[in-house]
Amino acid sequence: MAILLDENIKVIVQGITGKQGTFHAKSMIEYGTKVVAGVTPGKGGKEHLGVPVFDSMKEAVEATQATASVIFIPARFTYSAALEAIDAGIDLLTVITEGVPVQDSARIRQKALDNDVVMVGPNCPGLISPEASKIGIIPGKICSKGNVGIVSRSGTLTYEIIQNLTVDNLGQSTCVGLGGDPIKGIGFNECLTMFENDPQTKQIILVGEIGGTGEQQAADLVKKEITKPVYAFIAGQTAPPGKQMGHAGAIVHGKSGTAKEKMRILSEAGITTVKTSSEIPLKIKENL
Amino acid sequence: MLKAHFKDLKKKVKSVFNSMPMLYEIEGKQLFKENKIPTPLFKAYTDSSSIIQFAEEIGSDVMMAKAQALTGKRGKAGLIRKVSSAEAEEYIQSILGRDHGGKPVEIVMLEQPLEIEKEYYLAVMLDNESGKYLIIASSRGGVDIEEVAENYPDEIFKQYLPTAVEPFSYMFVDLGKKLGFEAKTLTSFTNIMTKMVNMAKNRDLTLVEINPLILTPDKKIIAADSKVVIDGNSDYRQVDIAAFKSQRARHTDLEFEADQAGISYVQLDGEIGIISGGAGLAMATCDILEFLGSSPANFLDVGGGADETKIEKSLEILSRQDIKGIFVNFFAGITRCDDVAQGIINASKVFEIKVPIVIRLVGTNDKEGIQILENNGIKAYGEMEPAARKIIELVQGGN
Repeated sequence: MAILLDENIKVIVQGITGKQGTFHAKSMIEYGTKVVAGVTPGKGGKEHLGVPVFDSMKEAVEATQATASVIFIPARFTYSAALEAIDAGIDLLTVITEGVPVQDSARIRQKALDNDVVMVGPNCPGLISPEASKIGIIPGKICSKGNVGIVSRSGTLTYEIIQNLTVDNLGQSTCVGLGGDPIKGIGFNECLTMFENDPQTKQIILVGEIGGTGEQQAADLVKKEITKPVYAFIAGQTAPPGKQMGHAGAIVHGKSGTAKEKMRILSEAGITTVKTSSEIPLKIKENL
Repeated sequence: MLKAHFKDLKKKVKSVFNSMPMLYEIEGKQLFKENKIPTPLFKAYTDSSSIIQFAEEIGSDVMMAKAQALTGKRGKAGLIRKVSSAEAEEYIQSILGRDHGGKPVEIVMLEQPLEIEKEYYLAVMLDNESGKYLIIASSRGGVDIEEVAENYPDEIFKQYLPTAVEPFSYMFVDLGKKLGFEAKTLTSFTNIMTKMVNMAKNRDLTLVEINPLILTPDKKIIAADSKVVIDGNSDYRQVDIAAFKSQRARHTDLEFEADQAGISYVQLDGEIGIISGGAGLAMATCDILEFLGSSPANFLDVGGGADETKIEKSLEILSRQDIKGIFVNFFAGITRCDDVAQGIINASKVFEIKVPIVIRLVGTNDKEGIQILENNGIKAYGEMEPAARKIIELVQGGN
């Protein structure tokens, strides 16, 4: 069954006629994703990659009944594109764009929450349920279908881990790249809960980074509610102590943003932590 | 000697990693002024005549001279002093160019001294967890606020405000009363609060901190210090702030050059230069070099969708750093391996790369990328760890 997306999900690509939009919409279509429409204001009525293009999200949703959209639009226009998607009634919004002003991300996130929209990103690689559908830019050929759910704050590092799993015959249920920005849509905990409730997922991998507190909250949730085995890898283990938001940041979040501290907290919650990404398949196989 | 030098480098590295896009105090106060948040009178020192002018302006012979720096503890370092206009020039000359947190002092600010009845702490930050503005306030200001949080947690007050909400004075009345403000000072406080939130919104600031906020004996509330952090993603719409001197000063020359090209680059002190895509993989690349007994000379993330020119620029930057080898590690998603490969080939024709280079290339268009490299006699690796081992062997093998 996987989480968030299956083979039936209908997807609109916002910015489909741009360079990135074209390249990755094509790769999504080739992977089997039901890309039913594209939106580029001013190019409505045309066809691109064999897909109809609309001037607005409203028109595209009305014509196709799509429930998901993915944004490949420059950072300065992302805010309005995201609001447009939410107003058009999308359920799943994925923002690939990098460099979105954090205040814009905060506002998009609030609007998504208010409208029960699942927002993934910004600055993220998107998500994939192998052999079913992919939304975003995760290279499809490194994935294989199976029982491992992956939730990650990183993009390229996730590919690394997916490939290691695939090589070791450990397929994936769904891989979700949450994005690396400080303010973003859904986080570890939403995905952990979905994986816990998904029959296909048997193990969960969490890929974190230095900074922020998402990993600590995930540790709390895993301790209380997650029964499936969880494995974690944190990037930045050898980096000097993480970035801090002045003193105000230290008060709110404590001083626990280092990789070492995160790994300690995750271990205490019963999560298997590894030092290098290539250890993950070995640890999973040990426990099978 | 060597050991001390190494220790200094480590310290410097740490300060670089910790550096948020912060503003100088004087720049923050310029923003306060622009937003009508009361500050003491202040002026940037230019030469001895600016001291005399300033003394006339404030109607006093005594003034504060404050070195501008992006790291804290200026007071303890002797970089802030109350001086008479006769002493000012000599003192300022003694602190200009002095090292603080790995950077020489370049700017000194002159400021009107304040009479203090009470000191408060006030901050507005864009909170990552909630995605809302978080206001933090305490009537125990002027000291290290982390200590207050530890010793007097009940005297720190917090209030959340959604980013889309327009702030009004009435929203801060409760908070003002908790801090002990009343009558005229309560109105002053709620006005300042409103202006602070508006300033954070209009100027895309992720932190506005005032410590101390001062209540004077004649019941005026004044921002005696400023700590402001900006959002680098908003540079395009805050062009004047992005051009502030602090934004140049917080980078080394190479880092600044990289930043201008849209490349995240941090200079470190190891032996192998790295080029990677994505912050996570770039960090993991640094990690694996350390785990395998070497060390990264830098962190470099070309960002998503990097084209040939960014790769060329990255190699150019590394060619100017003192390194023993280069490890290029890509698992491309939005970036295309053929662009990476072509960028490397282009760069190698322009800049002489004298050190060994190992390339690991996987992901979008990797076949095309590997072909480009092979056409130029370069073999690409498919996996990260063997590639890392290879570059370390090439770098350390000759020793």
